[in-house]
Amino acid sequence: MLPSTLRPQCHACALRQQIRHASLLRRPKRPYSFTQLITLSDGSTFTHRTTSPQPIYRSTKDTKNSALWNPSSQKLLNIEEDEAGRLKRFRRRFGRGFDAEAMEQGEEAGEGAETVDQAQQDESLLDLIAGYGQAAEKTGEAAGVQDEAKKSGKGKGGQK
Amino acid sequence: MNAGQKSARRIAASNGHLPRDTICTSCRHRLSHQPRRHAATAAAAAEEQLPPPPQQAMQHIPPVTAKAPAKAYRLLASPVLSRPPLLTRELTSFEKAYYLYQKRLNERLAQPFSRYFYYKKGTPGDVEWKRKAKARQTAARDIGVYNAYGREGWNDEVLYGDQTAEPENQVDALIRDAEGKNIVDDQPVGDADKDGEAVTGDATVGEGQRRELQKIEVERPMPRMTEADRANDVRSLSRKLDRSLYLLVKNKEGRWRFPEDRVYGRENLHQAAERILIQSCGINMNTWIVGNHPVGHHAYTYALPILSKLAANKLVPTSAAARRGEEGEEREEFGEKAFFMKARIMAGQADVSKNEYGHSEFQWLAKEEVKKAVTPGYWSSVRNMLAER
Repeated sequence: MLPSTLRPQCHACALRQQIRHASLLRRPKRPYSFTQLITLSDGSTFTHRTTSPQPIYRSTKDTKNSALWNPSSQKLLNIEEDEAGRLKRFRRRFGRGFDAEAMEQGEEAGEGAETVDQAQQDESLLDLIAGYGQAAEKTGEAAGVQDEAKKSGKGKGGQK
Repeated sequence: MNAGQKSARRIAASNGHLPRDTICTSCRHRLSHQPRRHAATAAAAAEEQLPPPPQQAMQHIPPVTAKAPAKAYRLLASPVLSRPPLLTRELTSFEKAYYLYQKRLNERLAQPFSRYFYYKKGTPGDVEWKRKAKARQTAARDIGVYNAYGREGWNDEVLYGDQTAEPENQVDALIRDAEGKNIVDDQPVGDADKDGEAVTGDATVGEGQRRELQKIEVERPMPRMTEADRANDVRSLSRKLDRSLYLLVKNKEGRWRFPEDRVYGRENLHQAAERILIQSCGINMNTWIVGNHPVGHHAYTYALPILSKLAANKLVPTSAAARRGEEGEEREEFGEKAFFMKARIMAGQADVSKNEYGHSEFQWLAKEEVKKAVTPGYWSSVRNMLAER
């Protein structure tokens, strides 16, 4: 046993009492969360955790049916609706000389009055690609060349 | 500009004209052009080179005609066109069990569901909620019948063979709930339970049973397995939705390889990859070449050198020099070096009916299927650049 002068002194220990109770840990306030099934506009689904008690959420506008995200989709292109034939009658009366873009593209709405010269068979790559859309549109295949990769996007996503 | 290029340039500048046998066409072209210099350095260089020794001047004159054909490797660009996985992968049984355990644990740890915040008292939604929540004993729908605050709250592990953790069943429970049904089937309170005492004339539907006023049909998710999976249609892009698929074509020799072709003129690998995709698999594809650098290469030495003529390609404007010469440059090729360019398909489908390379078929294959289709030597070059999943 060392003499008391040599022993290290702890003044704080002498003053304080030992505390043995646990300090209170508050439970973190996490809100209750549900599993929700999200169905995108093309039918693809996935589940996620959310506080909403709704079991299924269907989205009407998302990346699957936005033209911005599907630049090659013919279906999502702006297609003119002319059920009553008013636009057709207007064009019959006034022509469509003002509609330069339509003249170039040779739209189907043009009644076949304008024909696109397909003779220009340039060998450059860009012309080849640009010409493809015109050819497909003329033969009415445009709706047929749906993207298979996009179609296969349907399916059930896995767990989050 | 790095040191390697500099030193190569210096060598090129000091030795005069480079012999065409030692390096490839594009490297020779690049080295033979003097690097762009600033005025001061150009003046200094001019001062240095003012008295040119007559021998050096003789060396600078390129040989007008080469008797022997140039010796080189055949330089090929090869786009590796892939379709990314469209679905998340299947979970392992451990992962399923883990997620279910965590969800049931969360029931005990998170704050209870505040029903009145979402459903006002006495509204039909509130009544409906209470009815369905009573059957499943908890607010959550995808953890089976489990009460975290009851006497059996500790019993949160499912028994062997229990299907609650399956993602299909969890989605099914969500749909049942959306359709207004309980997540588990109600106990039948029909005539069968009442000792043959006919109440409604139906064995399962009894007096106490709730009758559906209107049937709500919720569209079910598409299955992970598609028609192409069942038929194992290797030409379809909707097969193996949770895997990467790679486009392989059957070339003239009957070997399955990635589409490939020479690099013509002054085009680079990126441009060559774009051109090859169009010339081999048609233009009905929305593709994207991911980078300017190859992701892999494959070298192969022929048993005997092949003497081949470099013809022009109609889609490469810079190969017009060869086109004008009609015959093109002759070359003795020892072997071939193919550089693989990573590419993605966004939309469309391959079509080899109008290809210019004599490809007869195409396939979209996952990694392990690629291994079976290609030769072992080719596989060892490509295996590490293909994604496992």
